[in-house]
Amino acid sequence: MRIESISYHLPNTELSNPQLLELFENFDVQKLEQKVGIKSRRIASDDETAADLAYHAGLKVLKEFDKSKIDFLIFCTQSPDYFLPSSSCILQDKLGLSTHIGAFDFNLGCSGFVYGLSLAKGLISSKQAKNVLLLFGETYTKHIHPNDKANRAIFGDAGSACIISDSDEGDIGEFSFGTDGGGANNLIVKNGAFRAKNTNVNTYSYGSGNLTSDAHLYMNGPEVFNYTIEVIPDLIKETLAKNNVSSEDVDYFVFHQANKFMLNYLRKKTGIEKSKFLISMENTGNTVSNTIPIVLSNFEKEGIIKRGNKICIVGFGVGLSQAGTVITF
Amino acid sequence: MNKEEFIKNLYEDLEIESTESIDESTVLTELEEYDSLAILVIIALMDKHFSVKISTKELNELETVGDLIHKAGL
Repeated sequence: MRIESISYHLPNTELSNPQLLELFENFDVQKLEQKVGIKSRRIASDDETAADLAYHAGLKVLKEFDKSKIDFLIFCTQSPDYFLPSSSCILQDKLGLSTHIGAFDFNLGCSGFVYGLSLAKGLISSKQAKNVLLLFGETYTKHIHPNDKANRAIFGDAGSACIISDSDEGDIGEFSFGTDGGGANNLIVKNGAFRAKNTNVNTYSYGSGNLTSDAHLYMNGPEVFNYTIEVIPDLIKETLAKNNVSSEDVDYFVFHQANKFMLNYLRKKTGIEKSKFLISMENTGNTVSNTIPIVLSNFEKEGIIKRGNKICIVGFGVGLSQAGTVITF
Repeated sequence: MNKEEFIKNLYEDLEIESTESIDESTVLTELEEYDSLAILVIIALMDKHFSVKISTKELNELETVGDLIHKAGL
């Protein structure tokens, strides 16, 4: 079983650091580039949804794959087109896939890619599917308050896609999972769904002069960081142990690209060699469930990630939720 | 690590200009470099050297560099 192909799609509109500087005075662009590791991000337009971005990514991986062979579609998003139906059903039709396939959405963020691999593996190893189209799409920027400087600097929109196929080559290994809903309030859009329908709410300021409201995205960055540095080192150990590999046996580590500072701290704390630790978020920012596919796709295109490489993949964030695995690419 | 070394670490990790003078009475929020990233830097510093976790609530209660040093157990 392996990732047959992987790709991503970005919206056209760019929000660069110089553009942010025009919007917010005293913006420390140098710090943003060097420490947070982001120069630019892409923003979905008003009429462009997460499913649209995933659709375009889907077209890319289906270009060289017989789409009649796709027998399951899974779409990971927290920004669905509608409350109902599931966006995956709409994507089945738009992509021209067989009507005899299974399709569903699942709602996860930064841990979503690893969960998606786990679901696809489950379907294939239990012989319920042979070729799973795994789609990811996220448009957090639609949730961000226009005056929320910090989150506008961090998040970007993207869609991505991969095909997981039953194959003698490659491998999708064992998984480790973790969940702590006690931290749900640390990364949340509170209002607009059924717990609190009212979106006509007051704005408030938080952190270093950012504005948000209960109808917009709120992130307690320090608490998410605390949770990450507390649980992820153990999750990595557990993931490697379950797969009977040591850090030395792994060719590359690909973590959810939250921000460069956090990634480098995690890398040092867990003793991972710099040359094995892949980062690619300069032009895309934190694209939630898309960050890991973007890294895999970019480094594959550059010829750095090759078939047969052992890659440890770890996702963590909103939920709070985390998951890790080791794949043979 | 003693208090002087702690302050030296703060200078390095927060990239504070050497012209800016810091002592135990320095109020954290008045540091020119104090922003959302600086908070992550401080959390990392406390975790790395002292295995001390600071919640956001605690961080809001820590007013000065001296409070931080005390929290580190120095």
